[in-house]
Amino acid sequence: MLDRSTNSLNRRVFLAAAAGLTGAIAAAQPTNIPESIRALQPMTGGVQPITREERAARVEKARRLMRENRMDAVLMEAGSSMFYFTGSRADGALVMALKGDPVPLAPEWKTDEEKYRSIARALKDRGAGTGRVGIEERVQFDVVDGIGKELAALEFVSATPVTAGCRVIKSRAELALMQRANDITIAAYRAAFGTLREGMTQHELSANIAAAYQALGVRGDAMAIFGKYTAFPHGSIQPQKLREGDLVLVDDGCSVEGYQSDITRTIVFGKPTARQREIWNLERRAQDAALAAAKPGATCESVDAAARKVITDYGFGPGYKVPGLPHRTGHGIGLDGHEWTYLVRGNKTRIEPGMCFSDEPTIAIYGEFGVRLEDCMYITEEGARMFTKQSPEIEQPFG
Amino acid sequence: MPQASENSGALYDARLAKLREAMKEFGIRAIVLEPGPAMVYLTGVRWGRSERTFAVVIPEKGNLAFVLPGFEEMRARELIRDAAEVRIWQEDESPFQQITDVLKERGISAGRVAIDPSARFFVFDGIKKLAPKLDYVSAQPVLKSADVK
Repeated sequence: MLDRSTNSLNRRVFLAAAAGLTGAIAAAQPTNIPESIRALQPMTGGVQPITREERAARVEKARRLMRENRMDAVLMEAGSSMFYFTGSRADGALVMALKGDPVPLAPEWKTDEEKYRSIARALKDRGAGTGRVGIEERVQFDVVDGIGKELAALEFVSATPVTAGCRVIKSRAELALMQRANDITIAAYRAAFGTLREGMTQHELSANIAAAYQALGVRGDAMAIFGKYTAFPHGSIQPQKLREGDLVLVDDGCSVEGYQSDITRTIVFGKPTARQREIWNLERRAQDAALAAAKPGATCESVDAAARKVITDYGFGPGYKVPGLPHRTGHGIGLDGHEWTYLVRGNKTRIEPGMCFSDEPTIAIYGEFGVRLEDCMYITEEGARMFTKQSPEIEQPFG
Repeated sequence: MPQASENSGALYDARLAKLREAMKEFGIRAIVLEPGPAMVYLTGVRWGRSERTFAVVIPEKGNLAFVLPGFEEMRARELIRDAAEVRIWQEDESPFQQITDVLKERGISAGRVAIDPSARFFVFDGIKKLAPKLDYVSAQPVLKSADVK
């Protein structure tokens, strides 16, 4: 459930930075990587990138959504949405208007003002100098402010109905890339769980997973959390050393042709106590409930409610209260690790075939431990399917 | 990076005082920052950006207010100095409501509010929809004037 990256701070970079904060860099310079991890072989053979034709069809769909949402153009900067439409991650900007080819703007400007003028010119050239311009959600304030000074008659609106409107439904080609990313993450975790040893720090385990991804031929990272800190969904900066009986939680994923995986496994280092087993089983039942509820036509919030009910029926919660499930049940996933739409109370969006979500109803018990099982699901006409086999029991992280 | 501690408290107080002088000069009543170098420089808080809004509101007077996701409160409090107010939003609530509530409670219902030059559009758009009457400007000049790195 690690937070989605941004154009200015990639989540994988962020993880390394956060780890660096405590003086131990997780991913940068791993030392003593076990042989079992070094021996892993690339799993990227036969990967089929998104075709030019598929990207062209995306632009056409975006234009239809622009018309429906009364936008004359959409502005993006380098990032996942621009990559989605162009296949390029190069710096710069993209102006996509109702007519004409999308205009990629290479960063040839020497000052910010030149940049704003260049974007303003492209908007004018495409007939959108006075209309409504959709702004991709991560475009920075100064860019919007600067363009507004060039073209005072422009109205800026959120481009999300267009960008998310396209990206939220995955094609078969996208699902295949996500499947590969998921398979690789399972392989990385499987190898890394073999390296657990008494006294290991959370950073060492993270480094082993990052090294496993490298050996498997992709870029990826993981957050590792031990013991009582597993109750914090995003861990803690406190140093942790693995001890017998600790819960071990690993979370995050890798990327294949830009498509993300996001998987969490929680196990015990040693023999589980009755309490750990009971809470783990409760977590698994909550995860199952969300999977069963995620049918086409159901609202996103009903999936969250289904998982939450299992947890509140046990006596935890209610709502976001801990002990219980302190966050939403899941997020969309695709080119970003977290993207629209969200399995959260208040989201009445209807689930459709082609949508992808994480299913991860964490149970957090502050001062004690937390359990999270996270697999991602894709929606078919018949219902939700997991990309990965769920963890069958506390002693078996992989199905 | 200086950790939030008694020792570094004076450092951040001095930086904030200097910023507030510049705010006065520029006629800026509050600044809203997303995580990034300016937030680190002014508060010591280093946080990753995600779709879940995490922001600090620096009003002309009174305590800083951090607006952050409810389930991150424990992790965030490891980083935030005691003097700052912490306001949480739950997953189905609006962080922008919290941000505009802070402005209102600090008596800022008109005038100039400066936005982090690197703030993402959805954050600005969310605030503006709830408080359309404020005059939003870039915080870039005021941050630069106060030597915010």
